[in-house]
Amino acid sequence: MHHIYCPYCEETREEEEYSYTGEAHIERPKDPAAISDEAWGDYLFFRSNPRGIHHEMWYHAAGCRRYFNVTRNTQSYEIHETYKMGELPTVTAQVPTPAPKAAQQGEAS
Amino acid sequence: MTNSTHNAATDVMESPLHHHVAHTNAVDAGVVMTEDKFRGHLNLRGNPQDADFMAAVASVLGMALPTEPNTSVRVNGFVAYWLCPNEWLLIVASGAQGQVEADLRQAVADKGGNQHIAVTDVSSGQTLVNLSGSGLAQLLQKSTVYDCHESNFPAGKVVQTTFAKTGTTMCKLEDGSVDLVIRRSFSDYFFLWLADASEEYGLRIA
Repeated sequence: MHHIYCPYCEETREEEEYSYTGEAHIERPKDPAAISDEAWGDYLFFRSNPRGIHHEMWYHAAGCRRYFNVTRNTQSYEIHETYKMGELPTVTAQVPTPAPKAAQQGEAS
Repeated sequence: MTNSTHNAATDVMESPLHHHVAHTNAVDAGVVMTEDKFRGHLNLRGNPQDADFMAAVASVLGMALPTEPNTSVRVNGFVAYWLCPNEWLLIVASGAQGQVEADLRQAVADKGGNQHIAVTDVSSGQTLVNLSGSGLAQLLQKSTVYDCHESNFPAGKVVQTTFAKTGTTMCKLEDGSVDLVIRRSFSDYFFLWLADASEEYGLRIA
């Protein structure tokens, strides 16, 4: 079981209260009609699936019902940090993956 | 032999109503459940950085909304629970929720008009249950993943977590008892869990 720090509740809670909701920092194309099918398909379906540092979204389902970001090592399962929506991670992979963009998910409410 | 009231079979059998009747209303119960029913429950959303919104709400409730995570404020029968940075649960007197809702809308409108807020009457969807007694600490240990020790869960603290896997909002009171907000649709499940989990302490419905 993970113990995950919720940046909104400002407490470490049991994993049972959370659910994982996929990779973080994926920006929706501003004008979907203007991009190619391939680019749209990449946005919609393709995820980085790295071995090592991964930035992902979690949802505090049983708590404050807020989405936030987690930097987790997919090899060791270690959680390096959690941070609010709209913020950038301080822990990133050694080999630079595409630079994380500011979260476009907005304040999920 | 035929007039014996006990036999091996019925001593180990459970009636379909076992949990409802076997363990409740014990005289020396270690767990006491009191339902504070038909209270008005209002879900309030707004921006805590907006001074006008906070002032408008304070003028209606007679108290400032809690802005620290996991805290509550309780004044004159009003209770405000912090739910998330822009969401609160207000528990008001039975039947008062309609007036409080109208007052909140009016006060916010008076302050500036088009603020982006929401007041939702959720009274019929949930209820307030108080648990107390000498077996409470152990009952909570069995029922919730949250650490309810005094050092982590002091009086006034509000925690949204799971209680026997159903969602609940717990608040510790000054007298050491715990108020739980539970969903109407989970109330049967909650009670059956409570009856079972408090079996060894005894359960009394006050």
